[in-house]
Amino acid sequence: MKILVPIKRVADPDNANKLKISSDAKVDTTGLEWKPNPFDEYAVETALRLTENGANTKARVGEVVVVMFGPKEAESTLRAALATGADRAIRIDANDADLDGDVVAQGLKAIVDKEKPDLVLLGKQTVDSDSNQVAQLVAEYLGWPQATFAATIRSEGDKALHVGREVDGGTLHLKVTLPAVVSVDLRIVAPKSVRSAHTAEGHAYPDGVRFAALMAIMAAKKKPLVEEKLSDLVPGATRKIEYTSFALPPARAAGIKVKSVQELVQKLKAEAKVL
Amino acid sequence: MSKPIQAINRYKADLREMSFLLFEQFRLGELLGRGPFENWGEDEVRASLAECYRWAREVIGPLTASADATGCKLEAGGVKTPQGFKDAWTKLYEAGWKGIAVHPEYGGAGAPHVLQILVEEILSGANTAFTMYSGLTHGAAEVIEAFGTPEQKKFYCQPMYNGKWAGTMCLTEPHAGTDVGSNRTSAKKNADGTWSIQGTKIFISGGDQDLSENIIHLVLARVEGAPPGTKGLTLFIVPKTRVSADGAIQEPNDVSVGAIEHKMGINGSATCVLNYGENGKCIGEPVGGDSKLNQGMAQMFRMMNGARIMVGVQGLAVGSAAFLNALEYAKDRKQGSSIANFKDATAPRVPIIEHADIRRMLLDMKARVEGIRALAIKLCHHQDSLRSLGAGDDQKIAYHQGQVDLLVPLVKSYGSDQAFRVCELAIQTYGGAGYTRDYPVEQYCRDSKIFSIYEGTNHIQAMDLVSRKLSQAGGANFQSFIGDISKFVAENSAHPVLGASVKSLGSAHEALGGAAMKLLTWFHTGQVSMVPLNANRFLDMMAEVTVAWLLLDGARIAHEKLAKLDAAQPDHAFYSGKIQAALYYARNVLPGVDDKARLMLEEDRSPLDIEDAAFATV
Repeated sequence: MKILVPIKRVADPDNANKLKISSDAKVDTTGLEWKPNPFDEYAVETALRLTENGANTKARVGEVVVVMFGPKEAESTLRAALATGADRAIRIDANDADLDGDVVAQGLKAIVDKEKPDLVLLGKQTVDSDSNQVAQLVAEYLGWPQATFAATIRSEGDKALHVGREVDGGTLHLKVTLPAVVSVDLRIVAPKSVRSAHTAEGHAYPDGVRFAALMAIMAAKKKPLVEEKLSDLVPGATRKIEYTSFALPPARAAGIKVKSVQELVQKLKAEAKVL
Repeated sequence: MSKPIQAINRYKADLREMSFLLFEQFRLGELLGRGPFENWGEDEVRASLAECYRWAREVIGPLTASADATGCKLEAGGVKTPQGFKDAWTKLYEAGWKGIAVHPEYGGAGAPHVLQILVEEILSGANTAFTMYSGLTHGAAEVIEAFGTPEQKKFYCQPMYNGKWAGTMCLTEPHAGTDVGSNRTSAKKNADGTWSIQGTKIFISGGDQDLSENIIHLVLARVEGAPPGTKGLTLFIVPKTRVSADGAIQEPNDVSVGAIEHKMGINGSATCVLNYGENGKCIGEPVGGDSKLNQGMAQMFRMMNGARIMVGVQGLAVGSAAFLNALEYAKDRKQGSSIANFKDATAPRVPIIEHADIRRMLLDMKARVEGIRALAIKLCHHQDSLRSLGAGDDQKIAYHQGQVDLLVPLVKSYGSDQAFRVCELAIQTYGGAGYTRDYPVEQYCRDSKIFSIYEGTNHIQAMDLVSRKLSQAGGANFQSFIGDISKFVAENSAHPVLGASVKSLGSAHEALGGAAMKLLTWFHTGQVSMVPLNANRFLDMMAEVTVAWLLLDGARIAHEKLAKLDAAQPDHAFYSGKIQAALYYARNVLPGVDDKARLMLEEDRSPLDIEDAAFATV
């Protein structure tokens, strides 16, 4: 199975308080520490599990291509994905300021047309803008079936996937014919969430995203990484979404003590207007 | 009922500080991508540190407190290490962190030493006791790589570097600790060419364990008829279990564990009494073969340089973890109100980081920790420069080698002494909570005490400095060291922010030169016992001068970078912190160097003059 995994780097969520917004609603990214979007890391891990036999030999049965939109210095995020086991990488040269979910989805369609993967596998959303759009948009542009918020995936060879989607109140099980677009949720990296057609019955992975071994980090720089131009893939791409302003939610006012149940009910009616 | 020990990671490291030292202060980029470091670029260095940090926090960090609580057990003649160690050992060698600086010929990545010691800092900081086993294994393999016969290298190095086998260093005996020369373990040549080993070794870290398939002991022993003292000692390779020529594990080699010590700290590291040849069936071979008898001490010394640096780095690791945990607690814990509101009993409670004395302790810890790290990196940068030079430039080779030799006792002693003091301050920052096992700092404090004792006590280090290193190369190494600082002082004494501190450094380094002359005078005027009396003091002076120099140099760079940043940018706080730490150290620690120099000139003899009976009449 050939899997394309789009990944994004995001400002380190642990240092989100360092993020600065200018008066004209531009995000100032200078000096920020970058991390791979955690949901995309889960997607890479899922792709690796779907293209190996799960046994200690980790024999590969397919190819994982990681793709990213971003400037040259973002390549270290792609190299990190190569170090964990992805086979090759594509960087679409672009500035963060020129991108929105729609531009990215159009660019991905162009890459899919060239690469012809069996599966586009990505995080359900990025933890910076939290838009949760790209998987759905790219599926629409491709005219492919989609399954979002995957918590489990079982592969039936290169023909179809059984996907367990996390939905309110439970798990919705879908069978998706390939090629398809699947976005993953947090629980996809639980030990038994992903089974390729070659995974031994009962095999359990370590919980979470695998570590990159030192030698794999050193080998990653020899793996292929090609650059594409956004303007070649999506001529005349323009953002559909512009940010006009950012504002913090209003600070929470201090609570008060009520003297009686009557007063509470009265306030819930008159002030909170919830009764 | 006592509280259960939680398997959670407490370890934290400051990767921004590490990358500052590597790439901004020591300009590692100039050594990468060429010569011995051809395969290494900045991206690989950063990725290695980040991934090693993630690995250490997730795999070995959570075992630290539980291993301390359970310790090691001696069961059925073998050591049982704490729960989780065996699995972590396998994962450590799968991940490859111990191979980072190993030569590619033995499956390693050949990284610069500056990166290797930061990886060691992360591993040791996350779990000191666990990291002991692999640290000694690495050291033992290095000895065989340096001095073994081609057959020995081929046979032992790879399995020791990849964790299949472990290794130990067996020097100490019940009556021979610091006095290694009184070693009694014997070696006797057999008719079949092998050597029979007999004797008892104590305090052997990792002397037995259940982590690796075999353990390769390096044992100092005296061959029959060899001269007494250190000149008659030979280093033997003695496997726990015999191995056939094709590497297959065979019968036990008559090495038994007599006991394991009950210690103050590093309880997950098994410290063993080992008995060799109780049944006359323990065999070994000299490192380097039969032509290398009586060269054990020289071979051990080679290993000791590396091991001593690593002990200093252990101090750095634990001190840094203690500081960063105390800092987190100080930002979180609310107690008391601001002193500005001292008359108002209803004033809001503030986090303790707002109290002046807590700020003093935090900055003191920060300055010392970052100072030791800069000192260790300085030493390793000399080693990496040396490797990058290759053969040819004899003058530069001599310079870098000389600085390495000079700085080893400083890194070992100052790193280990300061670690304990930083841990003590970290506990004080927490208050009563720090004294409990709910927080990691009391364990850090207990774990760190051994660092000033093993691998040569810190007094041995100080004596090595004053009696060997200062006079090495006719004193040229020390002169170059002083010269480097003089140059820095001359170039920076007019600095707008750091100028006054740089002038203090100028004064302190002159005082240090004067103190070195005083030591020489004592040597030459028959007052030799004044030298050991002042050796530790001199080592501290030299370390404080070096640390002040390196912190000020870092602050100089931070000041330049700061001028190009506006206050809203995240690095602004980082660089201003570098400047404040350097100023604090220069204003609060460095003046002590001049004081200590004056004390040396005053030649106090009271510890020598007091009669034994006068110490106490009990």
